[in-house]
Amino acid sequence: MNESSNQADQNDRFGVSRRRFLQASRNVAVGTVVGSTLSGILWLDNAVAAIPASEGYLLVDTKKCQGCASCMLACSLVHEGVESLSLSRIQVMQNSFESFPDDLTIEQCRQCMDPPCVKECPTSALKADAKHGNVRMVDKEECIGCGKCYDACPYTPSRPVVVADKNYGGEVKSRKCDLCAKASFHWDKAGGGPDGKRACVEVCPVGAIRFTKKIPSQKGDAGYKVDLRDRNWGKLGYPTN
Amino acid sequence: MNGYAGKILRLNLTERKVDTIPTSKYQHWMGGHGMGSAIFFDLVKDKTIDGFHPANVVTMMTSPLSATLVPAASGRTEVQGIGVQSYPIGWFTRSNLGGRFSGMLKFAGWDGVVIQGKADKPVWIDIRDGDVRIRDCAPLSLWGKETWDCQETIWDYVLSGGKPGDWNSPSGKEGGNTTQRPAVVTIGPAGENQSRLACLIHDASNAAGQGGFGAIFGSKNLKAISVIGTGHVGINNPKMLMATRLWQKENYAFDLAHLRETWGSFQFQSPPAPIVEWKKGRPKIDQRPQACLGCHSGCRARYKDASGSEASCMSTSFYGDALSLDIQRSASDLINRYGLNACEMVFGLVYIRILQMFGQLKTANIPNCPLDFSKYGSKEFVGQFVKMIAYGNDGKGNESQFGQDISGGFVRAAEKWGRRKRDLDSGILAFPYWGIPVHKEPRAQVYWGYGTLLGDRDINEHDFDWIKWEYGQAKAQGKRPALTAEEVVKIIADKMVPFQGDLDMLNFSENNIYSEHMAKMVSWQRYYTRFWKQSMLFCDSRWPDFVNIHRPDKIGSTGVAEPRYIKAVTGKDFSFLDGINLGRKIWNLDHAIWTLQGRHRDMVHFADNIYKKRPLYPLDVPNAHLPGKENGKWDYYGYSKRTLDRDKFDEFKTRFYRLQGWDTATGYPTRAALEPLGLGYVADELEKKGKLGSK
Repeated sequence: MNESSNQADQNDRFGVSRRRFLQASRNVAVGTVVGSTLSGILWLDNAVAAIPASEGYLLVDTKKCQGCASCMLACSLVHEGVESLSLSRIQVMQNSFESFPDDLTIEQCRQCMDPPCVKECPTSALKADAKHGNVRMVDKEECIGCGKCYDACPYTPSRPVVVADKNYGGEVKSRKCDLCAKASFHWDKAGGGPDGKRACVEVCPVGAIRFTKKIPSQKGDAGYKVDLRDRNWGKLGYPTN
Repeated sequence: MNGYAGKILRLNLTERKVDTIPTSKYQHWMGGHGMGSAIFFDLVKDKTIDGFHPANVVTMMTSPLSATLVPAASGRTEVQGIGVQSYPIGWFTRSNLGGRFSGMLKFAGWDGVVIQGKADKPVWIDIRDGDVRIRDCAPLSLWGKETWDCQETIWDYVLSGGKPGDWNSPSGKEGGNTTQRPAVVTIGPAGENQSRLACLIHDASNAAGQGGFGAIFGSKNLKAISVIGTGHVGINNPKMLMATRLWQKENYAFDLAHLRETWGSFQFQSPPAPIVEWKKGRPKIDQRPQACLGCHSGCRARYKDASGSEASCMSTSFYGDALSLDIQRSASDLINRYGLNACEMVFGLVYIRILQMFGQLKTANIPNCPLDFSKYGSKEFVGQFVKMIAYGNDGKGNESQFGQDISGGFVRAAEKWGRRKRDLDSGILAFPYWGIPVHKEPRAQVYWGYGTLLGDRDINEHDFDWIKWEYGQAKAQGKRPALTAEEVVKIIADKMVPFQGDLDMLNFSENNIYSEHMAKMVSWQRYYTRFWKQSMLFCDSRWPDFVNIHRPDKIGSTGVAEPRYIKAVTGKDFSFLDGINLGRKIWNLDHAIWTLQGRHRDMVHFADNIYKKRPLYPLDVPNAHLPGKENGKWDYYGYSKRTLDRDKFDEFKTRFYRLQGWDTATGYPTRAALEPLGLGYVADELEKKGKLGSK
């Protein structure tokens, strides 16, 4: 799917420019929520239905990442019981020939305050799950594999992974980051979710992924792509600013 | 079985035919090298053919641990076939490269690639999950491209209609999705021109350097293999795999919050700092560590100016006399872009430089050297030198006999110039075994030299190499080593099953280096690496985990961790000793192939220089210290300045052959040794060729 057709689809669906819509709602949000702990407080906007904020978020440092993709392998492992880069909810993409820091990016689900994927789901299979800290999660039993969540996600690559699921006889099902709340192969008795352990965070060898309960700035990438480098990172000869 | 894709891709380039071999046929070899040797043995009926012969078979194998979360074991690919680098015979040999190629192969549904025949014109292989095409190079003008350009061209082609960083469906609408770029292994101009120094390159600096596999690809008219996979690898016990990975991270890996060391080393515990040997050090510019798929600690970096990105080890040793760090970094890039074996480039340039310094380049038998040594150290000089070897000309597009000679390897060039023996004996041609460049000082680290000579290539296995570095680092800081020599030896020897507990295996004193103990040490390393490193593909930079300073008891995880990972991934109960025993079987099969190629005990000797002269110049650590027991006392002693004794080394060979159960007179394998290993069919073949040992 190319960007222009994606945009056209979105315009059709919303009747107005989707990007303008999101931008407007974000402008309201940023000034009030950045840095605060609004977990559990309802997010209200004149134009959207109330969707409670997620109680957890993943932050990444793209300048610290070593590109091993262990997070991706761990993600597919604990959720699907297999190793696969394509089934990972977090995506690391790199180019050996590009110069630092443009050689690599990490794209994780933002657990958006105003999640288009949730709103577009026709069966409410994708919802803020109150049992798991309002993390935006897919109930596969309810998912019909229509791919509207995939299309609705405004980020590249689209965060929901919508492919055939062997556990459902090959039916297409959506998956997205649930902060390991319902990871079928979770290794720890405490489980995942906002109050448990997240596979990508735990496995990352260099601490380039961090979990937070604070709501990140929704504007641009700055709230989600952060600096996790400390003095010791500098001792290894890497930049810390 | 979990961990395997289930099938091996078989390519017949002559007939342009794509076929499969069921992995189950070779699964008892577990993976990697074992599978590769077995497939080679079955498919190459005449083992005496030259490496350039179209009937030569190249295998590129993964392991059941490839593409999994097993740390420093997920990203390596084992490459095998009859090589063209060693002298006088191109032994059946191996090389190995990291990165993400093996992972992509597995995700595409393949446990390996077997390459047979020779294409009638330049081709490349386009693998997209189960869809495999042999494509002509011409439409993309791939033939003639440097390795990096070639890869980027293939990326664009495979992802056409999509873009990197977004979900793409490289196999079409019915296929799976991926955000990744294809993993491409390619040759550069050096391979196309069949330089014996030519290697395989993947991404910026993953190289299968030894053996001349780039030249073999070139001889087969094979430019590149591209693979992109959207599938998955089954795991027997996902929870166990995750828990084991985190157990090792917690207990054996570096801890960023409490750094104990800030430099990169060849150990599991090493922090992710690049192992670079640029003479003026690591550039002080913005950079990140860079790791192979699934690795817990990257050993190279990517830089703000992209120069030297992903280069490490030997590729950063090249051109140490560069006038600046930037020039030396660009020299590392050059050998990667043109696709050249870094180790031979290092010692080859030293050789040519010494000949020039002593006025020998202008002697009668040496063709005119087109290099201008007044520019030695400059970017221009190294650019010309690299191109001379890659193209076999003067480095400027003109014919040159000198360029052609060195493009065929430095030992063969010296032979042509009538000075091979003289220069090997003096040590200026530092290629003391099988025409292979020296790496570690064989007079001191005898296991390295013995292993190379009893095998097929510079072993390049750092299992015990870190000991001297630890000692050297401590000494440089005015400190005592963290462990005494005896403590180090005890921890290591305890893990060396089935010879565990024999401390003298690591006694490098003069009176022990030809002993039965040392024969056990060399045997153990041959078995260990053949299986655990080259078949299961645990990375040489991070494994084994013998001694670990993060532990109160300083005892590393090797012996415990590896079987846990096999159990978690495959479900198979397979002990560390099982792996050593299978390594012994693989080692015997390889030795049988060398025997069929013409190996005889009498050939197994170092260049005279190793017996008669002290080292001409120090390698890596001057006056390196190793564990030894002198007058009953264990300590670290300097052994770099000794020579080996020819007769005593001959006696060592007898001990070594006896330990293997081979014929001590000829070095040939015996039926008594092979049959218990399940290699009776190999004994039959040896007997048919009159090469089966009798005692």
